[in-house]
Amino acid sequence: MAVLVALALTATAAACGGDSDDSSSSGKTLVMWTFKQSHVKALEKVAEGFAQETGVTVKVEAYGPDDVFVTKVQAAAQTKNLPDLFEVHTTGDDFAWGAAGLLTDLAKDVDDAWLNSYLPTVRQDGLVNDEFYQKSLAQDAKTKGIQVGQRWSVPLTIGTFGIVYANKQRLTDAGVTTAPTTWEDFISTLQKVKAKNPDNGGVTIGFKAPTTGLEWFMQPMAYGLLGPDKFHALFGKDKSSNFSSPAGTQVLETYGQITPYWQAGTQSLDIDAADLAFAQGKSSFDIGGTFTLAFLAQNGMDPSNVVTFPVPAPANGAVKDLSLAPFTLTGVSVSATTKNRDGAIQWLKYLAKADVSATFAKEALDIPPTDLGADPSTAVGPVLGAMIASFGSGPSAYNPGDTSYRPGAYDGVPVASTLMDFSPLKKKSAADTGAQMAKQIDAFWAKQ
Amino acid sequence: MAISTIAKGPSPTRRAPSRGRSRYRRSETAWGYAFVLPAIALFAVMGVYTIVYGFSLSFASWNGFTPEWRWVGLKNYADLLWADPQYAPLVHQAALNTMWVMIAVPVLTVLVSFPLAVLLNSVRRLKTVLRSVYFLPHVTSGIAVYFAWVYVLQPDGAINLLLRSLGLGSLQQPQGFLGNPTTALPTLIVITVWTSVPVAMLLYLASLQAVDPSLIEAARVDGASTWQVTRRIVWPLLRPITAIVVLLALRDSLQGFQTFLIMTNGGPGNHTNVLGLQTYRLAFLSQLSPTLGLSSALGWMLFVGALVLAAINVRVLRRVT
Repeated sequence: MAVLVALALTATAAACGGDSDDSSSSGKTLVMWTFKQSHVKALEKVAEGFAQETGVTVKVEAYGPDDVFVTKVQAAAQTKNLPDLFEVHTTGDDFAWGAAGLLTDLAKDVDDAWLNSYLPTVRQDGLVNDEFYQKSLAQDAKTKGIQVGQRWSVPLTIGTFGIVYANKQRLTDAGVTTAPTTWEDFISTLQKVKAKNPDNGGVTIGFKAPTTGLEWFMQPMAYGLLGPDKFHALFGKDKSSNFSSPAGTQVLETYGQITPYWQAGTQSLDIDAADLAFAQGKSSFDIGGTFTLAFLAQNGMDPSNVVTFPVPAPANGAVKDLSLAPFTLTGVSVSATTKNRDGAIQWLKYLAKADVSATFAKEALDIPPTDLGADPSTAVGPVLGAMIASFGSGPSAYNPGDTSYRPGAYDGVPVASTLMDFSPLKKKSAADTGAQMAKQIDAFWAKQ
Repeated sequence: MAISTIAKGPSPTRRAPSRGRSRYRRSETAWGYAFVLPAIALFAVMGVYTIVYGFSLSFASWNGFTPEWRWVGLKNYADLLWADPQYAPLVHQAALNTMWVMIAVPVLTVLVSFPLAVLLNSVRRLKTVLRSVYFLPHVTSGIAVYFAWVYVLQPDGAINLLLRSLGLGSLQQPQGFLGNPTTALPTLIVITVWTSVPVAMLLYLASLQAVDPSLIEAARVDGASTWQVTRRIVWPLLRPITAIVVLLALRDSLQGFQTFLIMTNGGPGNHTNVLGLQTYRLAFLSQLSPTLGLSSALGWMLFVGALVLAAINVRVLRRVT
């Protein structure tokens, strides 16, 4: 197996080594890699305008899903065969690759005039601040090597997790006319829809990637239930307030109320399959993010038959008007080996223009990092517009992009796998699950 | 004396053919090297290089991007076995699951393929057609087949439908056979057996056709039943084949993980994670964490395990043959 791993890296690297023309280009063509198939056409469309304006062509290539994209970049890095630009997970891939020397530091290029193109809440995304630097010092940190002040990407799309997609027709058939605003309302809605549609009235989520249940669903609800400080403490070392505490058990028991309403077999579905099940009517609810809409539309779901709302908080929760704060989901980075750095920077600036950004958003059904004006619906349609309108900020808004309260080497997968044993698998009690989750988080703190 | 001089001195009559043979030998040797060189070069690059590279990696921490590795010595091995509270429990659970697979797959493969081969050997008509039919799972094995199995095993899949139609509704799995942690691993074991039976059956069939018919005829004359012939004559004669089948199944169980990766990715939760899959996850699904060294270390431990199994098998083979 060790040989297989090495062989795979070598072979992939060798395979990529032969097609140097396909990656980093010189002169008038830039090559951009993305892991999002839904962004290809949109980027190509705005690239036409860029070519007319500057004479520089942008060739967009998609490699997905995410792990394939990462492996592709790994291999290309070994053979020094990187493209000019990457679409990256902001404060994830960009920091790791920047630290490894794969990217160009954009700190000196991105001036105030450029930054002002973006919404104020996301202007700093892609920039290494002291918090990220301190986290990078942890043992096994993915971003070891970054320095304060470096900028490894600029925003391309923003959004958030924790959006519930519901089948409008089925809600209406079940007598539900307004989107639930509390957790209790949500459970009651699930009950009504399930009663009306026993075979396909449930909730799907891509549990094959277990973090979806934890990060997209339970965490927003827990934030609303406990409030910011107690929510952050769940991931702390203090046994009186972390997942093994009564507060942790309360969160898990509340989350457990969803168990009867999971669509049968959702624990075996990956994210795309879960979204597909919803689009095909095999479930009535789907948990995702702002980015889910594009996939649903691509797979035949009529956006006008979709109701969206944020995962709600319990009525007696600490946060009464829970909303979701947007953060930069994906950004664009420039590779360290590009032969046309100026052209790449020009392309990034072009993407940040309000009209270009709106065209991209409309085509990709995704949310841009720029200001779309008072009525975003005109630029990106009513469903996405409604999501944008529901974004919040401040202490009452849960921000999935804020990871400051978690240990530096935190990895959600084992924690989320344990949570699955509680719901939907019903293999462990809430207290046992909380204790196990706390133990796993403690292991990450030990590496701090 | 003259004879002695001729014998010891240089002989013009013998020198010429000797020089010719030498030239011929040198040329032959050069051609030999020329033919072998590509294979040696290929082995040096794809074999020696990757083995040395992979082994070195098992003593380092690296995420596949940074220009330099961070040397950690034997820490990766210790972390996987006991030291790291994040990785060690995962490896322990994967090892337990792998152990069940290693027990169940060889046993079930023999239990299914041997009787199937005996039956197929006794069939007089359509033997070739049936042999091809039974060999189909091996020929068609691949990603598409595993995806097909996933659909068949879903809550609304064909297996549940079949059970319902047969009045065996109590055996249905409302969460699907892969969604229930109790049935997920056994289901994957069955799929693995399904893919390993064809080769095993073919090996048995080939050996059955080599069994001396006079042995069976003599037993029949002595009044032995079909069961007794199979149990007392055929089965002992085929023991070496059984040893090979078991070894192949053990190796597949220890190192194979594609079925698990495609069908469950170790889920639900972590209930079907196996060591091969864990190695793959550490290498390619670790979200940029520096775990390629851990993956390599686990790979080498699997290699040692496979080596031990092979050694045991060689001894067993010697004993039974």
